Amino acid sequence: MSDTFVCCPFCGLLCDDLTIALNDGQAQIESAGCARAVKLFVVPRQRQALVAGQAVDLAAAYRAAATILARSQHPLMGGLACDVTGHRAALALAEKVGGVVDHMNGQAQFRNWLPFQDGGWMTTTLSEMRNRADLIVLAGTDTSRFPRFFERCLTPESQFGDLHRQIIALGTNLPLTPGRPTDTDLAIPIRNERLGELFAALRARLAGHRLDAPDIAGVPLAQIDALLVALHAARYGVLVWNAAELDFPNADLTIQAMVNLIKDLNRTTRWSGLPLGGNDGDTSAAQVCTWQAGYPLRTAFEASGPHYEPMLYATDALLESGDVDALVWISAFDPERTPPTTNCPTIVLGRADMTFTRPPDVFIPVAVPGVQHTGFLHRMDAVVALPLSAAAPADLPSVAQALVAIQQKLNHAAA
Amino acid sequence: MLRLKGGRLYDPAHGIDGQVRDLYVEDGRIVADPGPDAVIHQEIDLTNRVVMAGAIDLHTHIGGGKVNIARALLPEDHRFDPVPATGLMHAGCGHAAPSTWTTGYRYAEMGYTACFEPAMLPSNARHAHLEMGDIPMVDKGAYAMLGSDDFFLRLLATGADQRLVNDYVGWTLDSSQAMAIKVVNPGGISAFKFNARNLNLDEAHPYYSVTPRQVIQSLARAVHDLGVAHPLHVHASNLGIPGNADTTLATMAAAEGLPIHITHIQFHSYGMEGERKFSSEAERIADAINRMSNVSADVGQVLFGQTVTVSGDTMSQHRNRRHASPDKWVSMDIECDAGCGVVPFKYRDKNFVNALQWAIGLELFLRVTDPWRIFLTTDHPNGAPFTSYPHLIRLLMDRNFRNSKLDEINPEAAAHSQLRQLAREYDLYEIAIMTRAAPARSLGLSDRGHLGIGAAADIVVYRDDTDREVMFAKPEYVFKDGRLIVRNGRVVEVVNGAVHVVKPEYDKGIEKPLKDYFDRYMTVKMEHIKVSDDEICGCGASKIIPHKCSVRSS
Repeated sequence: MSDTFVCCPFCGLLCDDLTIALNDGQAQIESAGCARAVKLFVVPRQRQALVAGQAVDLAAAYRAAATILARSQHPLMGGLACDVTGHRAALALAEKVGGVVDHMNGQAQFRNWLPFQDGGWMTTTLSEMRNRADLIVLAGTDTSRFPRFFERCLTPESQFGDLHRQIIALGTNLPLTPGRPTDTDLAIPIRNERLGELFAALRARLAGHRLDAPDIAGVPLAQIDALLVALHAARYGVLVWNAAELDFPNADLTIQAMVNLIKDLNRTTRWSGLPLGGNDGDTSAAQVCTWQAGYPLRTAFEASGPHYEPMLYATDALLESGDVDALVWISAFDPERTPPTTNCPTIVLGRADMTFTRPPDVFIPVAVPGVQHTGFLHRMDAVVALPLSAAAPADLPSVAQALVAIQQKLNHAAA
Repeated sequence: MLRLKGGRLYDPAHGIDGQVRDLYVEDGRIVADPGPDAVIHQEIDLTNRVVMAGAIDLHTHIGGGKVNIARALLPEDHRFDPVPATGLMHAGCGHAAPSTWTTGYRYAEMGYTACFEPAMLPSNARHAHLEMGDIPMVDKGAYAMLGSDDFFLRLLATGADQRLVNDYVGWTLDSSQAMAIKVVNPGGISAFKFNARNLNLDEAHPYYSVTPRQVIQSLARAVHDLGVAHPLHVHASNLGIPGNADTTLATMAAAEGLPIHITHIQFHSYGMEGERKFSSEAERIADAINRMSNVSADVGQVLFGQTVTVSGDTMSQHRNRRHASPDKWVSMDIECDAGCGVVPFKYRDKNFVNALQWAIGLELFLRVTDPWRIFLTTDHPNGAPFTSYPHLIRLLMDRNFRNSKLDEINPEAAAHSQLRQLAREYDLYEIAIMTRAAPARSLGLSDRGHLGIGAAADIVVYRDDTDREVMFAKPEYVFKDGRLIVRNGRVVEVVNGAVHVVKPEYDKGIEKPLKDYFDRYMTVKMEHIKVSDDEICGCGASKIIPHKCSVRSS
C-alpha cells in the first residue's frame, strides 16, 4: 500500500486509520491505536517450530503435521483466526483430508446464524449507522470488546446534519464505558438471559396485545410502553448486540426475538440490527466458507460433498464426542487464543508469542496477518473487506503458506 | 496448432449462418488458415457439429455480498444438490445459489465462457472480487452500482456540473474495477433508508429532492461521455408492481436517445387489466424496444421451481417479503452506498401471477424483433437458476414444446396470454446472436463472442440435436482460450478466467472532495475502498483485462 494509514486486524471494526512506525523491526502504533491494538501489533519476528515440545526446523514440523493428518480419519480444522488467503488454504486442506471446519468464535457466530437461517433479518453497516442512527439500543453489550466503537461509529457529525443521538442501554453491564461522547439516555437493568422476554413483550405490545403481568423480566409495563414509544419515534434506529456476550443456553432465541422486533418496527418506520462480531477473522472465515461450500462453517467435507451441521459440528462437541481424531488449530491474531484441551493429536499454527501450558504435538509459528504479512480481511458487517499491510515483515510463513506446505507433504506421503 | 475441421459455424458477428468452415487455434487465439504446409498438431472432425463462440451472460448474480447472503440463508436448498470434490474439481453445492466453484464448472459445462455480475456495490467491491476470484473456468466482470449512494445524490442535489458527475463515475469504475455502471431503483434504495416505500420516476427523493429521472439522465450521460461501451444498465423503478409498464416506458424515454439497457424487463412489463388486476404489457414494451434503437434489454425469464431473489432494491424486496418461500428474508442498508434484499421464491406453474410472469417473459423474447438488443437471461437466480438456460432455449426454439408447457400452467393465465398466437421460433443464428455476438458487442469485448481471426479461442461445439434442451445442456467440446475444458458436458480441465474492467479517463481531482467525504463521514478511508489492479490477481483471477474507453464529448 502506498498510503500511510494501516488497517488493524485485531477486532471486527477493522479501524483503518492507524499510523505505524517501525522501531527495531517492531511495528509501533503512532496514532489511532486502542490498547488492544497497541499490545497485539507487537510480536516477535522469529520463533522455532516445535514437535513434541522440541525445537525443530519448519520442514520437520510440516512433516510431523502431515503425518498426523495422514493418520487421521476426520480432523477438525479449528480456530481459523487468520486472513482470507489463510481461510482459502484451510478449506482446501479440509477438503483434501475430509475434515470439518469451525471457527474459535463458532458458539457466538451460530447464535446469529441460527435465527438468520430460520427467519432472516434486517441489518445495517457501520457507516450507515454513523450517519443515520438517531436512536441506538445496546442490548446486553457495552461494546467495550470493540474499543473504538463509539469514536468510529457514533460521532455526532453526520452528512445529514448533526444527529442528536439517543442511546438506550439494556443490560447489567451499566453504566457504560467511560470516554464515550454521548451519555446513555436511558439504562434499563436487566440480565442478558432475560432480554428475550423483554423483546418478545415489546413485540407483543407493538402488535397491540395486552400483557397480564406487572412487569416483564423486572421491567415494569409502563417502562416497556415508554420504551416502545421511543423505538417508534426514531427516524432510524439501530439495535446493537454482540452474540459473544449473550453467553447462555438458547441465546439464539433471544437474538431471534430482537430481529423479529426489528422486522415488525419496519412496517412503519426504519430500524436495523447491528450484530457486533468479526474478531479473530471470524467474519472472513464464514464468508469464504459460504462462497466456496455454500455454508457458513460447521461443515464437513464428506465423500458426497459438503455436509452442514450447525448444532453437531461445534468444536467443543466434536472434541468431546470423539467424532474428530485430530485438531488443526489456527490462531494468528491473539496469542491468548490457544487450543481447547483435548486428547486428540493437535497441530497449532499460532503467533510467535503464543505460549502453552501443555505444548501441542506440533507448533508452527506463523506470521500475523496485517502486521507481518499482507492480506484481506472482512469487517464485522461482512460488506467491507479491507487490504491488510505488512508493517513489520517477519521470517515466518503465513497461515496459507504453512497449510500449503503441509498439504504438499501429505501429497508426497500419498504418492 | 489445432484444426477444428468441418463444423457448421454460427458466427453472427461475421454474418456466418451455418456455413461449414475449418477453424484454426494457436496460442489461445483463432488464427487464419495456415496453408497446406503448416504443421497441425491436433485435428478434431466436427462434421455435422454446430460451432459457436463461447456464450456470454451479461446479467447473472454470481458473486458479491448479496449472493453470499442468499447462500448462507438456504442450507436446505443446497442439501438437495451437494457437489463432491473430484480431485479435479472442488466440492461445493448447486441449485439456486450455487457455491463459487460449482458456478464456474456448471457455466462452463453449458458452454459459457464469460459471466458478468451486474450489481457490485463499490463498498463491497473487494469482497465481490474475492468471491469472483474463486469462480473458475469463465471470464468475469462486474457492474458498479450507483444512483442511491449519498455522494452521487449530494452532487446531483447541489446541481454539480455534469463533468464532476462524469469524474465520479469514472473514478467509481476505476476504483471498484468494474466493467459498466448499473443503477437500481434510481434513488429508491436511498429513499427507503428515509422510510419511503415507493419512489416513482418523477417523484422527489424525500431528502435530496432529486427524481429518479434525474438520476438516470445524469448517469446515462456520464456513461456515454466517458465512452464506456455498455450503456447505463437500468433496474427501473417499481419492480414487480402491477401497472409498472408505464414506468418502464417512461424510463426508456427518459434516456432521451442516449443508450440505455433495461434489465430483467420481464419484471417491469406488468399491466393492471383483468379481474386480478395483473396482466401482460409485453406487447407495448416490445413495441417500444422495436421502435427505440437506443434501448436494449435482457429478459429475466421466470421458470418454475424454487429459487432465491437477490437484489440491491431493498425497497422492492421489503415489499416482496410477504411472498418469501420458505418464509424468511434478509434486508440490509449498506454504507451510504446502496443496500440489498434477499427473498427466497418458489415460482409455481399453477399460480396465476407466476404463470403469467412466465408467459410475459416468453412473449417479450418473441415480440422483440432484433435479437441484437434482447438478451437471454433469467436474472440468475431471480427468475430461475442459470442452469435452466437450455430449457429456456428450447422454449424459444420449439413452438410445440412451448405450447405443451403452456397447457400445463394456470389456465386463467394461459387464457390471458397471447403467447399461443406467437408462432416465432428462434433459430440457431438468433440464439448465437443473443447469447454470444450481441452481449460481446454490448460490453465492448472485441475479441469475444465471435469466431473471427484474432478472437480469443472460446469455442463451443454442440451435437445438432432436435431436442434443443439436450443439445445446449451438454456441449461436446468447450474450449477456453484454446484449451479444452469441457468434453461431453463434463469439465476435463480446470482453468481460471480473467477479470474484464474498463479504464475510462477522468480527472483524478475528484479524489479531493471524495477524500474529504470519506474522512468526515465514512468509517473507511477512501484509499482503502479502492481496489488496485494488483489486488485482482490476489483475489484469485488469472489476470486483469483492461478495456480502453474512447471519450465522447457531451
